[in-house]
Amino acid sequence: MKNLFRNPKESIAAKLIIATGLLIVILSLIFWYAIFLKQQKDVMSIAVEYGNSFTDFIKRSTRHSMLSLHTSTIQKTLEDIDTAEGVERIRIYSHTGSIFYSSNKKDVGNSVNKASIACTGCHDNIRSPGLLPEPKKWEVYKSAEGVTSLKLIDTIGNEPSCYTAACHVHPENQKILGFVEADISLALLDKTLFRQGLALTAYVLIFVVAISLFLGIINYKIVTHPVNELAKGMEEVAKGDLGYSAKINSVDEIGMLAKRFNAMLKDLKAAKDQRILWTETLEKEIAKKTEEIQRTQAGLMQTEKLASLGRMSAGIAHEINNPLTGVVTYAHLLKKRFPEGSPEAEDLDVIIEQAERCSKIIKNLQTFARASAPEKEEIDVNRILQQTLSMIRNQEKFHNIKFITSFEKGELRILGVTNQLQQVFLNMLINASDAMHEKGSVTVATRRINEKGDPFVEIEFTDTGVGIKETDLPKLFEPFFTTKPQDKGTGLGLSVSHGIIKHLGGQIKVRSRPGKGASFFVMLPAAGEKA
Amino acid sequence: MKKILVIDDEEIIRKSFQKILTPEGFEVKLASSGHEGISSLQKESFGVVLLDLKMPDMDGMDVLKEIKENWPETKVIIVTGYSTPEAKEEALRLGASDHIDKPFIPDILTERVRKAFNND
Repeated sequence: MKNLFRNPKESIAAKLIIATGLLIVILSLIFWYAIFLKQQKDVMSIAVEYGNSFTDFIKRSTRHSMLSLHTSTIQKTLEDIDTAEGVERIRIYSHTGSIFYSSNKKDVGNSVNKASIACTGCHDNIRSPGLLPEPKKWEVYKSAEGVTSLKLIDTIGNEPSCYTAACHVHPENQKILGFVEADISLALLDKTLFRQGLALTAYVLIFVVAISLFLGIINYKIVTHPVNELAKGMEEVAKGDLGYSAKINSVDEIGMLAKRFNAMLKDLKAAKDQRILWTETLEKEIAKKTEEIQRTQAGLMQTEKLASLGRMSAGIAHEINNPLTGVVTYAHLLKKRFPEGSPEAEDLDVIIEQAERCSKIIKNLQTFARASAPEKEEIDVNRILQQTLSMIRNQEKFHNIKFITSFEKGELRILGVTNQLQQVFLNMLINASDAMHEKGSVTVATRRINEKGDPFVEIEFTDTGVGIKETDLPKLFEPFFTTKPQDKGTGLGLSVSHGIIKHLGGQIKVRSRPGKGASFFVMLPAAGEKA
Repeated sequence: MKKILVIDDEEIIRKSFQKILTPEGFEVKLASSGHEGISSLQKESFGVVLLDLKMPDMDGMDVLKEIKENWPETKVIIVTGYSTPEAKEEALRLGASDHIDKPFIPDILTERVRKAFNND
């Protein structure tokens, strides 16, 4: 609630309340004024009605005295009536304005003010006495003391009893004999009206305040509070808390907004969680691949180290064995000149012994280097293929795969390293199995071929899998290229195989029939004499 | 007289062959390179050639091939300071009759050379 009036510019509720409040105040004022006017009019018409009865009463009270022309009685009657509360003055005057009788004795004999309603009520122009179509018989005016009064005028018409009366004052053809005028105070009425006005104003004010308060509360409940709740939610989201949920249960537009907002947050959170998961997976995958690369690199470095050790030991062997040959030979030749068992012959034996020791050290070094680095040897491709196939047949991955083998007769000798070749063949078979989703048949065939005049051994692996897309073919041997699911392939198998075969002077060829399968041909130079 | 040709780029080695084998009754001629050895063979015939595998001008294997091609009767004994089993195998395949590692004991050299002549 405290936010409601902090700054009208910043609060929808305040704006709404101010606008509604203003409207209510204006409407109430109009209403109030209309009621006030109506009341005034009603009161006035009642006052006029009573006033007319009053003037009629005066006429009746003085009738007898008029007919008998008892002027003092008429005067006395008027004075008596004037003593009643609220009656200010009573006068009777002729149609020319000469005052005959008045409750205020001083007036008698005077003429009425020609500008007063006594004359202007019926005549628009006093000099040319035309009668107004609707004569005005009363008026409200304010006295010098500020008291509101009602002036009423009634005509005294000519009657047979008037012009036949003994006094013969009035001729028969005169229609109006005179006027009765009464001034009655409206002070009491004014007071009542003022009180009623005050009460009405108070009612209107209370009404305005109550309506504004009610609107304020309603507004706070259905607009300000939910909007604040949403704003808070957005602030939380901006801070990064996607677990926030706006607590708005209404089913109106704001409720819908909150519902959508909450749904959006939920989606965002799910997306964020997914992203985090992906990032983690990616990090793990990167770590895995980095480790693989490092391992491969370490292996390569080790191989390279051993190879250079081998080269170095060969160089040392050559360079040192020659001088050692000189030492040993000359020591032997010299030894022959001395008798067996002589101290000179024994010393020369020491020289020979030490020289041979040097030679042995070099030989050991060479042996170590050669033993550590993989050494190419003549191996039979058929035999290695058989070994590889029997190795995998028991594995679950190959249970639903039929192997069709067609091996060239005899030994297919090539120069290579057994376990490296096994790795290549195993890789081909795993790829074939994956391409067929572990179900289908694989043809493994070996044959002797001629490649540009040189004898080669070709090993074919043909699967009945999905084949390879033409666009993937150029990337096939690139490191880390794979079409397998994340957990299955590292994208290193074919690139490593390619490296091994290339190192042995061979190559791998691919033929793909998309949708039907793929064939891989591993070609290696045949061992033995070149053609 | 049993004639031996020594082909080795190192003088000390050539001379030690001469010093060991001459007293044993062999006629020893020396060549300091593969080319020199080949031209010596063209001039006269030798029963046994002692051949080093690593020489600056011509690879020992190529010398071996040429000797076996042109003078198949001549026995070739490879004498090397370094050798791999493959190189030994290759040499034997190309027609070398024996292989001796450097450094060698003079008596063993004499024995191997004598054996080569006897197998003739």
